[in-house]
Amino acid sequence: MKFLCVSCDEPMKLILAKPPERGSLTVVYRCPRCAHEIAMLTNPYETQVVGSLGVKVGGAPIGADDTAKCPFSDVVQGLSADRQGSSALLPWTPEATSRLENIPEFARPMAKTGIEKFAVDRGLAQIDAEVLDQAKDFFGM
Amino acid sequence: MKNYYDITGDGGSDILEQVQAREESVARSLSGVRNLLAVGSGKGGVGKSTLTMQLACALRELGNAVSILDADLNGPCQARLGALQDQILVPGERGAPVPTTRNGIGVVSMGSLFPEPRAVEFESVAAGSSYTWRATKEFTVLRELLACMDWGKLDYLLVDLPPGAERIVQYAELLGPSALFVLVAIPSDMARGVVARSIDALAKTPNQILGYVENMDGYYCSDCDRVKPLFPAQSQVKLDLPCLGSVPFDPELAALCDRGGSPSDSPALFSWQPVRRIALEICQRVSERASTLEERA
Repeated sequence: MKFLCVSCDEPMKLILAKPPERGSLTVVYRCPRCAHEIAMLTNPYETQVVGSLGVKVGGAPIGADDTAKCPFSDVVQGLSADRQGSSALLPWTPEATSRLENIPEFARPMAKTGIEKFAVDRGLAQIDAEVLDQAKDFFGM
Repeated sequence: MKNYYDITGDGGSDILEQVQAREESVARSLSGVRNLLAVGSGKGGVGKSTLTMQLACALRELGNAVSILDADLNGPCQARLGALQDQILVPGERGAPVPTTRNGIGVVSMGSLFPEPRAVEFESVAAGSSYTWRATKEFTVLRELLACMDWGKLDYLLVDLPPGAERIVQYAELLGPSALFVLVAIPSDMARGVVARSIDALAKTPNQILGYVENMDGYYCSDCDRVKPLFPAQSQVKLDLPCLGSVPFDPELAALCDRGGSPSDSPALFSWQPVRRIALEICQRVSERASTLEERA
């Protein structure tokens, strides 16, 4: 979908994509010539089209957290709670956080809680690359 | 006034580029896979998943590096078959390492990530309309699994397909034209009729079907050590494909698979030998196809 400023005959540029609110996405475009702004307000069905493709409008998250655009959000959130158990949240180093991006998005919350439990069980204070490697070996990968 | 095609770029939404980038990342991720082999049928309940795992075991026994992608997101079986239930993914330096069974078969299955009995639910922001988006979401998730997993170098990546004769074309498109297919039938007109529809559907794609496996071709009775008929009569529906072999229903093998055991650990099992012969047949056909392609090149 592209937006054209009719007065200027100039393609408009995306300047803001806000997370969905009650299923409606707000995307603001501005004409680079006259600075006229418009907002595209999607209905829930239109929002779902984008979410189903697993992409982010304008590169910005269309949801408030990692699971917001995940096709399995409801289940993922439920499982995250189930699997947290008594494990406390541990800090993740930037390198470990970056590596988390290497697994499918819908599996991240489960992986995060599982790895934290693995670390807590071993008395570790944070998740770093070394802990991830230990977990990888432990889980037989 | 300018029209859509007069305007270059997308004004910053970046959606097309992201979709294309995902497709490219699938190709990159699968670059070490020599043979992509989809095991389908169109019909449910014919033993696709069990046979997929058995074929993987047989191919592995023949010295191949093998992994399985369980493409049945809603009824995943491969995690149970590989004894990999409740398995989390741990991020590696390049993608997610593939969990492996005790005998070295990689298995990626939603059954590992979503423990039984929880059903996989597809989120929908529009209440009561999840069916509308289901196919798009399923294939988005499958593409993400293909792209994110660190498949490494494999001789065979087996893809265990869900039922649905018309959907088999969508999986062919997802996996690409080089993906080969093996179809699973059973000796009943009802099942073979559906398999015939899958053959018809796949005929419209560039993908090659190596042949079909006649599963549940009789019932192996260990008490009398012979195969007895399981279906009343010979099926009248002919499948216009080479038959790669037939496998009788074997309760002992089924029980072993349910426990996540590998039939290669129990070589005396009656039905294991037919599976091994089918695996050999597949290897031979794949090898012949590769030689033909090389000659053409």
